[in-house]
Amino acid sequence: MDNQGNRLYLNFGSNNERLAATDRTYPTTPSTFPQPVFQGGQPATQGAAQQPQAYQQQQQQQQQPGYASSAGYFQQPNPQQYGAAQYSSQPGAQASDYSSAGQGYGQTPGANNDPNTGLAHQFSHQNLGGAVPRAAPYGARGVSPGQRPRTAGAQGQQQPGYGTHLNAPPMPQPPQLDYFAPPLERNPDKYGPNANNNQKKCSQLASDFFKDSVKRARERNQRQSEMEQKLSETTDPRRRESIWATGGRREGSYLRFLRTKDKPENYNTIKIIGKGAFGEVKLVQKKADGKVYAMKSLIKTEMFKKDQLAHVRAERDILAESDSPWVVKLFTTFQDTNFLYMLMEFLPGGDLMTMLIKYEIFSEDITRFYIAEIVLAIEAVHKLGFIHRDIKPDNILLDRGGHVKLTDFGLSTGFHKLHDNNYYQQLLQGKSNKPRDNRHSIAIDQINLTVSNRSQINDWRRSRRLMAYSTVGTPDYIAPEIFTGHGYSFDCDWWSLGTIMFECLVGWPPFCAEDSHDTYRKIVNWRQSLYFPDDIQLGVEAENLIRSLICNSENRLGRGGAHELKSHSFFRGVEFDSLRRIRAPFEPRLTSNIDTTYFPTDEIDQTDNATMLKAAQARSSAGGTPQQQEESPEMSLPFIGYTFKRFDNNFR
Amino acid sequence: MSNLFSGINARLRGTSSKQGSGKSPVSPTSEDGHLSSPGGFARRSKSSSNLSSKLPPLPASPSLAQAITLTSTGDDILNSYRLPQPLPMWLNPAYAKHIVKGNFMTLSSRPKSVDQGEWMAHHVVEHYRNLWNFVHVVHSKEADGKTICNSTTCPRMSAGPNHSYTWLNKTNNRYEPTELAAIDYISMMQRWISGKIEDTNMFPTDPSGVSFSHNPSIANVALLSSPDEWVGKRSGFPKDFASICQTIFLQMFRVYAHLYWAHFAEPLYHLNLEKQLNSCFSHFVLTATALDMLKPKELEPMQPLIDLWAANGTFPPESKAYEYANLKAGTRLLQMAGMA
Repeated sequence: MDNQGNRLYLNFGSNNERLAATDRTYPTTPSTFPQPVFQGGQPATQGAAQQPQAYQQQQQQQQQPGYASSAGYFQQPNPQQYGAAQYSSQPGAQASDYSSAGQGYGQTPGANNDPNTGLAHQFSHQNLGGAVPRAAPYGARGVSPGQRPRTAGAQGQQQPGYGTHLNAPPMPQPPQLDYFAPPLERNPDKYGPNANNNQKKCSQLASDFFKDSVKRARERNQRQSEMEQKLSETTDPRRRESIWATGGRREGSYLRFLRTKDKPENYNTIKIIGKGAFGEVKLVQKKADGKVYAMKSLIKTEMFKKDQLAHVRAERDILAESDSPWVVKLFTTFQDTNFLYMLMEFLPGGDLMTMLIKYEIFSEDITRFYIAEIVLAIEAVHKLGFIHRDIKPDNILLDRGGHVKLTDFGLSTGFHKLHDNNYYQQLLQGKSNKPRDNRHSIAIDQINLTVSNRSQINDWRRSRRLMAYSTVGTPDYIAPEIFTGHGYSFDCDWWSLGTIMFECLVGWPPFCAEDSHDTYRKIVNWRQSLYFPDDIQLGVEAENLIRSLICNSENRLGRGGAHELKSHSFFRGVEFDSLRRIRAPFEPRLTSNIDTTYFPTDEIDQTDNATMLKAAQARSSAGGTPQQQEESPEMSLPFIGYTFKRFDNNFR
Repeated sequence: MSNLFSGINARLRGTSSKQGSGKSPVSPTSEDGHLSSPGGFARRSKSSSNLSSKLPPLPASPSLAQAITLTSTGDDILNSYRLPQPLPMWLNPAYAKHIVKGNFMTLSSRPKSVDQGEWMAHHVVEHYRNLWNFVHVVHSKEADGKTICNSTTCPRMSAGPNHSYTWLNKTNNRYEPTELAAIDYISMMQRWISGKIEDTNMFPTDPSGVSFSHNPSIANVALLSSPDEWVGKRSGFPKDFASICQTIFLQMFRVYAHLYWAHFAEPLYHLNLEKQLNSCFSHFVLTATALDMLKPKELEPMQPLIDLWAANGTFPPESKAYEYANLKAGTRLLQMAGMA
């Protein structure tokens, strides 16, 4: 039928009519059935103009008051003339209906007492070049099925009759056409660029709305049944009442939270704990309840310029989806004109980079603890379907208890201004860059938890191989296959783990160099450049593990899953399942819940971006270019769907 | 100048179904000084089309459909709606489809423990956000400064030939129904609604004020029988909260009705947004009726689509919207399209 429809469409040739499959209304159709594709020849206005007349005629025929179409169908005395209606109402009797319809076409003399109808046919007949005469239905209302066939002959154009004219038996028109206007060709281009842009927003927002709502409803039902379970477990009326009241309040506060727009003014900044090209991370306290969070604010224009939007979105998605103890928790996201905000849990222990700077090297036991935890964390991210691609000490945070959580606080320190995605392409072409300041990595990809296409992940799950082509990450810890652009897979994160482990035990990352260009070259030539210094004694198992991670992807440990690492002899005796519950080797000593001892806050300029931006705007508006914002920030296309609200935000 | 929505409220509606008096009985009970609630609408039976002038006398109101006897056919009911011919595009079942599958009621049935006021507030805000995504499409300016819905295309706030709405302007302490272009009407309404939603006295946001819905089988509390109780009281919603919500839903309904009658093809269909509109609107109708925020009569301009959605399974049989629908009319529409 599809083919037929297409062919028919091609035959028409006179217009661009296109019908989606869903627009077809016939439940079952013989292959020759014409699709309701036409209208080209008859201006809609003409059809409209016919209405009164057609209507009048029907009145004259003593038809029931009401709208013309139904009257036409049901009151016509000649059954042959409305095969279409019969067809639609008696699907079981198709065959005979077809034939009677056919007869109707062939034999009924011009029952057409409406000259306009004939005229309309004439128009479309001309348009159709005579090839498909039966396809002239004129969606316009004036034509009632009772008046079929509207043969051209009635107007003096000699058509010898459908039966002889066509090989296929004539078919009734889809009845829909007689009641409804004919299908309309979609023409988005008749509207301006703004409308088409708004179209995208509107479509995206609507589908996001339903996606979010369905997810929330599902979770709500889940909580509901959990509550009912709890209620059934006790008969104590007080207990039951309290379960019920707590449940209702929690749901109620979540609803309230959903309809409340969050804004940065709801928070007091305590300290800026990280800064980068795209934004900053602040320790904040919510004014309303005194709760402490890490608030990351990203500068929209920078994200936009640097093409980071997909990455922001991916990060928001993974953080929003994840409920893992190994991933930093995202409570809510919101935005205003200039910034995107991510409200996350504050991890007071600082990051592994700061620890490494402080201690230079770790003992093998301590290394074992952190590397084992990072194995679990990477595994958790992979289970969510994400490849981190930028595992590095800066992104490994320590919580209150000194346990590891992955994040992307890569914003912390030491960014270069070079963040283009083609940065590595420049490197490949041998262009060297400014020397890097000390150990800090280059942020190619500040938003590091990067999703690869979900369907690709499913492909990978089937084929055990995901190929994704892009170059991201920061040089020191990045696997060579990411640079070379031949595709990489989940195991690229295990390479990074190997380099971190090397650094923990040796004191510097294995491929560190004066500038990133050299680092890159070293990584690509890892077979030559991987070198364990003679003066540092590494355990055999430790060195073996590092070497089985820093190697080509085909041989890399972890390719088949994290269990390959867990069973490596370096981890002998490690109980992975209870790892997070044991005491960590370093536990942060904190004096309060807003203690930032473990963040290098003195090295960070404490003027926040919003303040700088305001100053800049004040300067520019003094120069005579007033800022104007006409759209609400949520409506700005690239940032649609960014807003996220987690249920348990209020109930930690 | 102060403005308020025109029209008559639900109680008065029945008495003014005759020829469209632009003057709508109003009960300006507002204390906020600029708008009163609830709004209503002015029916416009006077039709400008030749077609209807040639019609024999028709039932005074399409709402008679509700009263139509068991013997009346789907066609009878559809006739009583006095729809233009050909039928509006959005009544074509081929264009009444959705971007969502499944039972919409999962989204609108209140969790038993949640306070009714909180649930209403939640849906007011959600539907308001949804609806304005579509309004944005027809109201935002192209480079030439033109909007798709403008005072030329839509000189009145109309929903088809049979319904149009006037705005009440307050001059000299009297409310005068004023005919406004749809764009102006909608903009003023938008301002009014967002004023309400952003008013934390009307829509409290303090998380500590949240209460829950009492469950007699769990806790014995005498409730809601006393005259001093109202929806949402214990969660901090004001006394007139429910009636304000009702007005908001009614006004939003009018915007949807205008979008369907005036902008379904131009531009929403052309921009491939009709399924999105259908899903948002059907969710809206299901929610508003489930919350008793829209009465059957208020649904008139969109009744045939509601019938169709009841017939094609969009509205689940347990929903109020389904109850308000004329199944025969909906089934007939499906037949017309060869879908039943």
